[in-house]
Amino acid sequence: MKPWIKTAIAAIAAAGLAATIAAAEPTGVFKYAEQVKLITMDPQQQSGSGVPYLRPVYESLFEKAPDGKNAPLLATGYEIDGLNVTITLRQGVTFSNGEPFNAQVAADNINRGVKLAVIEGLKTVESAEVVDEHTFRIKLKEADPAIIDSLCFTGGMMLAPAAMADPAIDRNPIGTGPYVHSKDASREGEVQVYTPNPTYWDKDKIGLARYEVWEIPDDTARLNALKTGQIDAGNWLANPQSAIIERSPGLKLIRNTGGLNYHVIISDRDGTMVPAFADLNVRLAMAHAIDRTAFGKAILFGLADNSYQPYAKGNWAYDPDLEGVYAYDLAKAKEYMAKSAFPDGFTFDMPSIPIYQSRLEALAGFFSEIGVTMNIAPVEPGTLARRSRTTDFAATNLVWNTNTDPKFVALRYIYENAAYNPFKVKPSDELLSLAKAGLESPEISVRGPIYQKMAAQLAKEAFLIFVANSPILIGVSEATGANPTVVYRYGEDSINLRGLKANQ
Amino acid sequence: MLRLVVQRLLAVAPLLFIVSVIAFSFTSLLPSDPVDLILGDTGTEEQHEMLRERMGLNEPIHVRYFEWLGRAVQGDLGTSYFNSVSVAGAVMQRLPVTLSLTAASAFIAIVVGFAAGVAAALRPRSLVDRLATLGATFGQAVPNFWFGLLLAAVFAVWLRWFPATGFTPLTTSPWEWLRSITLPAIALGLSSSAAIARQVRSAMVGVLQQDYIRAARAQGLSRRRVIFKHALKNGLVPVVAVLSFQITVLLGGALIVEQVFVINGLGTLAIAAVRQQDIPMIQGLVLVMVGLVVAVQLVTDILYGYLNPKARPS
Amino acid sequence: MSGQSQKAGGPLSGRARARRLSFYAITLPATSFLALLVVVALGADWIAPYDALKQNLLHALQGPSAAHWLGTDDLGRDVLSRLIVGCRIALIAAAEATSVAILLGVPLGLWIGYRGGWWDWAVMRVVEAIMSIPGIMVAIVIIAILGPGLHRAMIALGILFSTSFLRLARGVVLSEREETYVKSARVIGAPDRRILLRHIFPNIAPPLIVQLTLTVGAVLLAEAGLSFIGLGVQPPNASWGTMLNTAASFMELNWFLAIPPGVAIVLTVLSVNLLGDVLRDSIGRGIAVGVSPAAPSARFDAEASSAPSAPLPARGDEVLRVEGLQVVVSPSGGPEAPVLTELTFSIARGETLGLVGESGSGKTITGLAILDLIGAAGRSTHGSIVLDGTDLRSLSEPQMQAVRGNNVAMVFQDPTTSLNPAFTVGDQIAEVLQAKLRLSRKAAWARAVELIDRVGIPRPAERAKAYVHELSGGMAQRIAIARALSCNPKLLIADEPTTALDVTVQQEILDLFRDLQGEFGMAILFVTHDLAVAAHICDRIAVMYAGEIVEVAPVDDLFAKPLHPYAAGLLAASPHGASRNPPLPTIAGTVPRPGAWPAGCRFSDRCAYRRESCGRRVPLTGGSRLVRCLRADELDLGSAS
Repeated sequence: MKPWIKTAIAAIAAAGLAATIAAAEPTGVFKYAEQVKLITMDPQQQSGSGVPYLRPVYESLFEKAPDGKNAPLLATGYEIDGLNVTITLRQGVTFSNGEPFNAQVAADNINRGVKLAVIEGLKTVESAEVVDEHTFRIKLKEADPAIIDSLCFTGGMMLAPAAMADPAIDRNPIGTGPYVHSKDASREGEVQVYTPNPTYWDKDKIGLARYEVWEIPDDTARLNALKTGQIDAGNWLANPQSAIIERSPGLKLIRNTGGLNYHVIISDRDGTMVPAFADLNVRLAMAHAIDRTAFGKAILFGLADNSYQPYAKGNWAYDPDLEGVYAYDLAKAKEYMAKSAFPDGFTFDMPSIPIYQSRLEALAGFFSEIGVTMNIAPVEPGTLARRSRTTDFAATNLVWNTNTDPKFVALRYIYENAAYNPFKVKPSDELLSLAKAGLESPEISVRGPIYQKMAAQLAKEAFLIFVANSPILIGVSEATGANPTVVYRYGEDSINLRGLKANQ
Repeated sequence: MLRLVVQRLLAVAPLLFIVSVIAFSFTSLLPSDPVDLILGDTGTEEQHEMLRERMGLNEPIHVRYFEWLGRAVQGDLGTSYFNSVSVAGAVMQRLPVTLSLTAASAFIAIVVGFAAGVAAALRPRSLVDRLATLGATFGQAVPNFWFGLLLAAVFAVWLRWFPATGFTPLTTSPWEWLRSITLPAIALGLSSSAAIARQVRSAMVGVLQQDYIRAARAQGLSRRRVIFKHALKNGLVPVVAVLSFQITVLLGGALIVEQVFVINGLGTLAIAAVRQQDIPMIQGLVLVMVGLVVAVQLVTDILYGYLNPKARPS
Repeated sequence: MSGQSQKAGGPLSGRARARRLSFYAITLPATSFLALLVVVALGADWIAPYDALKQNLLHALQGPSAAHWLGTDDLGRDVLSRLIVGCRIALIAAAEATSVAILLGVPLGLWIGYRGGWWDWAVMRVVEAIMSIPGIMVAIVIIAILGPGLHRAMIALGILFSTSFLRLARGVVLSEREETYVKSARVIGAPDRRILLRHIFPNIAPPLIVQLTLTVGAVLLAEAGLSFIGLGVQPPNASWGTMLNTAASFMELNWFLAIPPGVAIVLTVLSVNLLGDVLRDSIGRGIAVGVSPAAPSARFDAEASSAPSAPLPARGDEVLRVEGLQVVVSPSGGPEAPVLTELTFSIARGETLGLVGESGSGKTITGLAILDLIGAAGRSTHGSIVLDGTDLRSLSEPQMQAVRGNNVAMVFQDPTTSLNPAFTVGDQIAEVLQAKLRLSRKAAWARAVELIDRVGIPRPAERAKAYVHELSGGMAQRIAIARALSCNPKLLIADEPTTALDVTVQQEILDLFRDLQGEFGMAILFVTHDLAVAAHICDRIAVMYAGEIVEVAPVDDLFAKPLHPYAAGLLAASPHGASRNPPLPTIAGTVPRPGAWPAGCRFSDRCAYRRESCGRRVPLTGGSRLVRCLRADELDLGSAS
């Protein structure tokens, strides 16, 4: 190499470096507080909430645009042909450990997710295979109109090959995201710290020198942290603390798109553990015993709507006719109980985490009116979803994110091998055929009426008892509220980190 | 002094051994199968068996115990069943938090307990004595977590002098540390200060009736000197004995007070471990706590030897 | 109450009344509160105004009102009703955990205590191990095994607290086992179980009851704590702990929720603890209330003035002159009773005056009165204590402090208790030198070593670094003497300085006193009950009885011809020569307690020569010899030898 060329390259490199620094020198810290405890940083073993811990490191193939439409992220495009989904990948992306991101890695990721079988969005996936360097193909077991939606969330998150091979992956995440996890700066059970990814493919989008996710399961503590400026934002359920945020000057309660539809799941509807649950009258009695209006007012502080179906108002699958289908009617509830084989009532255990404590106490109060004793069994925060997938409990309670595709209702609850059907109960023929019918067309005009029927059938069978639907609530400080770079992820309880800058 | 330390350490070794046996065998009695806990319901029968083999669960319990003990003495307390966090690491990370709280509350308990006890003992049956005794009786009946709630309501929520929740490490900011530790330490220290006050009072009343106090006074030494030099050093002897016990109590109380002020210490870790049946974590916590208690006892024994020449080995 | 005060038939003394009053002031409210709790717990279903689980979400988080006296909680449930139901849970919790603790701990403790050997060793090591883990941690681990919930948590607490019952039972067995009657029962061949039941249970009951109350208090607090962190009683069931758990999340919206359950816990635990304290005190002291009758002191003021004694004849070269001294004490806050009356004596320079009498006659208090060190319970009310022309009673405390050590010093009876166990003996002498003579640290130490040498202790520099428990009694007394003489006082008060020592050592110490008196020239007030000792060292002897001097005479005169029947009695009881055990058996009866003195001659109720006129107050009369007896002139009491 001739000396002048060397010099020129050096000059160009220096100029380029200077330009990069000038363009996007990440500064400042943004602190987010998560209400669920961190269980694992392996997206493919992650079953409940806690996505905010993952987003800084892991990027998914697609993401939800602010309008809710699917937008490419690590992918650049897709094509669905029957049971084959062909996805083209972004080029020039490397993982933060230097490993390249390519079709082989993407296929390995999907296959790992399928094998681990935790992510419900991948339940319809048979396998994935490489087409060429930057294209891979997902083969479906059955038609899945929502496969791309699934790839917007944990199902589409791409792990580095080294991370997939690491048995300690749950605390050593390696992805392509704008930030990398700093294990040294993090404190287990308290805060996870993320620093800029020096090899990120879209450097301009790194706006922070440091991003922190604080693990504060206690609602009051999280509120105090927000008040004192220890955190810039955090997520809340509809509870006294979020009500206080709404009232507090200087704090703002953001109602993000999407809702958290709180519902009771009667898992043991064959009555293996609690025989009464096999009795439809019992389930209907329980559904009618819940005074949703009082519940919404007292427990959710007016931040929620009464709910009788999985979908929220405005959703294409929403059926207005189902409003009040099992409205509060104590006399009717008692009538059902009297008709049932268990007129004297029965007892069952309900798993609880602190954030659901008051909800469950209220439900226990409603159920006690019809002679049903519900014991509240605390489980460790962060394990409710996992425990709900075991036969430890005959019934459970969870929230349903109303932005998820209705097909997941079947994947979660209806199919015999559904994630939250631990007792492997066979679905009724009606439900099963409706669930399958919903997958046959990608057109929502076709799917909508089918899912409305499915919701009506669910209300009839009453093993999913919907209670109240509250929006995703994010409490923010005044400065965060005024920060123009803060973009709340559509239907998710997190902030989009790409382009996020610190508060002024 | 060195001799005392060595003596005590030799005496402590069997205790630690027994505790380790108890911790290991008790937690092995837990109703849940660790393999089930780790794999959830996703694993196949082969996976279960493989993990069982890898974890050595097919070995007899005494073999497992000695393997565990062998690693424990090297500082390896195993790995949590629920994530790849090492037990020793998790415990060591929380330890400074709980130690901070325990030490701060012990400080408060000693200062308040001592002042009240001495003041009461100097004038038995006086108003001060009656107030101190009444306060001590009350103090021992007040649950620390309730007192903490009240303190937080008044001084954090209403007056906003202190943060209501959270903990700032001393290394991050000494001032913030002090602010974050004050209310929890007061809440936790109350009942111990009451116990110490009672102990100090009765010890001091006893000491002040001793001949050597009167003899020192007969020698024309001032009341102040006699009380604060002659009486206090002797009065401290029974107090030191109760102190060691009180610090154990404080360490236990810290587990609950941490919940009130949402402090991520050993208590939070312990409660989570119990809820999740995270056996290695529970075992590690028990061992570390006993280690702490033993260390405290060692310190108090040395103090005892300093205060009471009769207790020194000759 | 004690049989003694009932037998006396009189009204209760003020002190006893005060004690009894405070006894009831504590136990009555505590017992009635606990009784109320039991009633409320048993009748919770009838008493509670609402169903404790009945929610009314539209009326949640309300403050106290006529409908809901204590307001409503987050689900609109009536707080008062939940509190009442919580009583029942608290009661169940306390009963369950305590029963488990007793049923587990007591039999096991009894058994290992009786078996002893390897079982005892092993169980005790396990108990020690459990006790070295913070209690709440033990409970948490046991709950991890058993699972959460009221009953299981209480079993956990029961196991935890059983260790204290175990230790208690074992301790009782161990001490009773040594008792001969158990041994003899074993020899006769009674089976083990019968021995245990018959002999040990009566002895274990009192400490068991005390431990029981302690445990109940601790259980209540622990249950509340465990429920608070969610490992005890599970919601929606109302326990005070779970109510506080709820209240914690609603502090900002309704802080009042935290008040009722907290107050309920505090009051309950307080009542149990107070009751426990009272029980412990009564059991520990054998319910000894009101054994100390004390009469008002007014009687003596009147009497003292009605019978004036002859003024003390002046003597040349007096160091100390005590005249008409009266001291009263008020034990435990009761009314004042005199312990010294009309006390009059003097000591000349270089003279040794023996103050002799039985215990309780007021000798020691005389010495302390001179130094104004009677303590908070007593004070001197009349008379004068003139030291070298200065009335000590008129001095302020700082002035008095300057007198002590410098002008008057005191040596106490038991050197092992009058020297501070926590400091070296050299330190204690040097401290005085530093404080009183303003010597430097170094000079004071050197002088201390010198003094130690002077009182005849070999290797003084080494011994100065010793603690009192490392010295023999005689050596310790020498140290005490060295300290007393360190500032060269004019008067040394020696309070039974040889009584606690071996006979051979006594002699040496007495010789030391005499040697030192020759060297330092101080006067000595030598207090002793032993006439033989007094004869050995004193120039003159003052015999004391019941707070007054009954006879003063030069030592030879007294021994040759005692004038007072009491002095004669003392002499008769004390054979010449060294006598180790002089309990003075020949005088029937004992010295009456202060406040119970007979009117008139205080010796009259023990005196063989008593006449009717002895019922009046008797003055101290005479010239070179003083005596307080109406019949001193007519009686011939003979000599002791």
